[in-house]
Order: sequence, then structure tokens, then C-alpha cells
Amino acid sequence: MKRFAYLRPGNMEDAIAALQANDEPYLLAGGTDLLIAMKTKAVKPECLIDLKGIPGIDGIEYDNGFKIGALTTVRDIEVSPLIRQKIPVLSEAAGTLGSIQIRNRATIGGNLCHGSPAADMAAILLAMSCEVKIASDNGTKTMGLDSFFIGPNKTVLNRNEVLSQIIIPKEIEQFKGVYLKHGPRKAMDIGIVNIAILLDADAGSGFCNQIMIALGAVAPRPIRAKKAEALLNGNELNPAAIQKAAAAAANETNPITDFRASAGYRKDLVKNLVAKGIHQICESNNT
Amino acid sequence: MGSKHRIQITVNEEEYDLLVHPNRTLLDLLRYDLGLTGTKEGCDEGDCGACTVIVNRKVVTSCIVLAVEVDGATITTIEGMQKGDALHPIQQAFVDSGAVQCGFCTPGMILTTKALLDEFPDPSEDDIKHYLEGNLCRCTGYTKIIDAVNNAVQLLK
Repeated sequence: MKRFAYLRPGNMEDAIAALQANDEPYLLAGGTDLLIAMKTKAVKPECLIDLKGIPGIDGIEYDNGFKIGALTTVRDIEVSPLIRQKIPVLSEAAGTLGSIQIRNRATIGGNLCHGSPAADMAAILLAMSCEVKIASDNGTKTMGLDSFFIGPNKTVLNRNEVLSQIIIPKEIEQFKGVYLKHGPRKAMDIGIVNIAILLDADAGSGFCNQIMIALGAVAPRPIRAKKAEALLNGNELNPAAIQKAAAAAANETNPITDFRASAGYRKDLVKNLVAKGIHQICESNNT
Repeated sequence: MGSKHRIQITVNEEEYDLLVHPNRTLLDLLRYDLGLTGTKEGCDEGDCGACTVIVNRKVVTSCIVLAVEVDGATITTIEGMQKGDALHPIQQAFVDSGAVQCGFCTPGMILTTKALLDEFPDPSEDDIKHYLEGNLCRCTGYTKIIDAVNNAVQLLK
């Protein structure tokens, strides 16, 4: 790694000031993506601003819904008893990221800000219709996570902004969820396709009150399959309707071909996994 | 730019007061500055787990942690497991189970096992596999390693 300056500000104001005052600054959270990019010289920071010295930027709060600090480790999310109780699918998705060594360092905010289309936290949080809180020198603002991502490794964050918190709406707790990550290995791999589905359906009739479907690794950024959702919202969940929605979800994707999989294979996977995921939730609803 | 930072750390119950460049990884600090070469460098990008050490009771891949980030931390490396001439029960279990072939992954495997058993003293086989999934072994095929973890559970009882 080439040399760089290291700063560890003790509060958010100093972190934002350092971000503006230094050349080629990068924010450091867990470092599990950033340090690798620095080793391969994909990025060449002149200055690292370590956010871990800011009090209160990590931790899981519950106050009419979850508020998760951006520097909360993925492992803390995986093992949180309250998350396991109220929104277990978030804990399950967290458990698929990297290895325990990675999850002990990687943070929920870092996973979002890195902007990978395959980020595990991105797909599941997008399906949960989360909001993110962003601190800047003009105060803080809150925005929907769907507006946060732009493209590969690109988010809306400006040079004077830091993601500080993820807010999960309380209504999500009545939904049942599933996170399907398809890849050759269970651990230490990014998904060829990641599917996150949150569903609020009547157990008996199979009527879909609301469904949220997020797709990872199949477009320049993590996306919501809104056309597929619209086909199911307010309708009965029968096999034909599910099949039609799954095909619509596949049509909403724009995947690439790379060494992991071809674009066509990814589209087929989306179709199959969206249907599988919805069926899986319906089955658990009926047991 | 990149001036040295002072860090104070405890490694294997010994205290160190060190000056480090920000681009020094914890792995390089342990191996080259402290001479603790039991911690291995494998892939150098956080994938293989050979450089696993315990920082504040949590396993991390030391190749993707900066030394400046662990200021104030308590660290255990493989050299800190043995007490005098006696192997730690987890080390003994790895020897007894034939879980060591070339040995390169072993320090990381043993430290991850220690963190596992500190957190879950009686793990299921699924717990063991989930916890050890970030430690790659190219020799054993893993069955002997899982045996070793189960034997360590018995030895620690």
C-alpha cells in the first residue's frame, strides 16, 4: 500500500471538515472493501478518515422501529437478539456476508456506501424500504435508500456528506422475509444474484397485501422490481400470478456477463429465485 | 504526509508502545515488527483466514486491518495460546485429531476455534462450519478439523 495520512476525528463535524480539507480523502469504516482496493491500487487515497472514533455512530437502537448506526458491524446485526426476533431475515442476510472475520469488521454503512450492486446489506435493506440519514456541514437529511444508489461503486454522497444511520420502518415487522443468495460457495463470495423479498400476505386466503422485491447483482445498482411488485400487490398469490411476477422481475434487470455468470443465466436465476422466494414465504405462512 | 502514529497495544499479555506508519497492516506489524511469525500471510486480501488473530475477543483477518486502527486493543496470536510447555487444549485437539497437515492454515484455524468456543462452548456441527467458513485449508478436506473442534470441546469441559 502506498503511504497516506490517517485521521481519526472524534466527532462528525471534524470528520466532514477533514473530508473537505484533504486531497483524495476516503472514509474508513470496517475497511474490508477499502483496504483491498488500496492494495490493488484501484483507489489511491492521500488521506484516510477513520469514522470509528465518532461516539454514537455505531449501535442498534429500537424506538418505534430499528435505527442502526452506520458503523454497526455486520456481525452485530447477525447476532442481535432483537433483530432476530423482529426482522429475522435481516440477521439471515447479514450472516451470508463474507466470513466471520469479515463480518466482525465490515459495517452496514460501509457495505451501502461502497456501492456494489451485489452488496448483501443493500438488497435486503432496499426490500425493507429503509431510509438513510446523511450528515453534512448543512445539518442532516433523510432520504429513501432507493434514491441513494447511482451505479457501480457510486452513491449520491457528496464530498461534504457522511452516511450516519439506517432507519428501518416499523411496518416491516409484520412482513415475512426471505433472502436468497445464489453462488458457487456459501461463504466468502459475492452472489451471482441476490434476491430479497418482504411479503405481507393473509395466511388463509393467500391474498397479497404488499410485497417488496429487491434484486442485487443484476443491474448497475441494487434495484427494486417495481413492476413485479405491482402485479402482486392487492391480488391473490396463486402459482400463475407468482410465475408472471417472477418473469416481470427478470425483465426489469439489466445484468452483465462476467466470470461469475452470463447475463442470460442471471435473468433466468431472477425468474426462478423470485418465484421460489415467494413460494417459500407462502409455505411458512401456512405452517 | 503519512507520518508515524503512536499506538499502545497488548499482544499475548505483553504491552507494546509502538510508532507505526498508517499503511502498516496489523499482519505486517505482528510478523515484521514484533517477530510473531506464527500468523501467516496467505492471500493478503481477507479471503483465506491464514492471518486470523483475535482482537478484543473477535477474530479478524489481520491483513486487512491497519495497525493504527487497533490502538488500545488486546490481541491474541497463536504464540499466545500455549502456556509454558503445555499446549492449549485446542492445539492439543488439533494434534490428536490429525487436523494439521502442511500447517499453514492451522494458526488461523486454532484462533477461530478459540473465538468460536469462547462464544459457543458447545457448538453444533453447523455452528462450527458457519464459524470456520472464512478459514481455508487446502490439505485436510476439513473433516479432521471439525473432529478437532469437537475434541477440543471435550478437552475444555
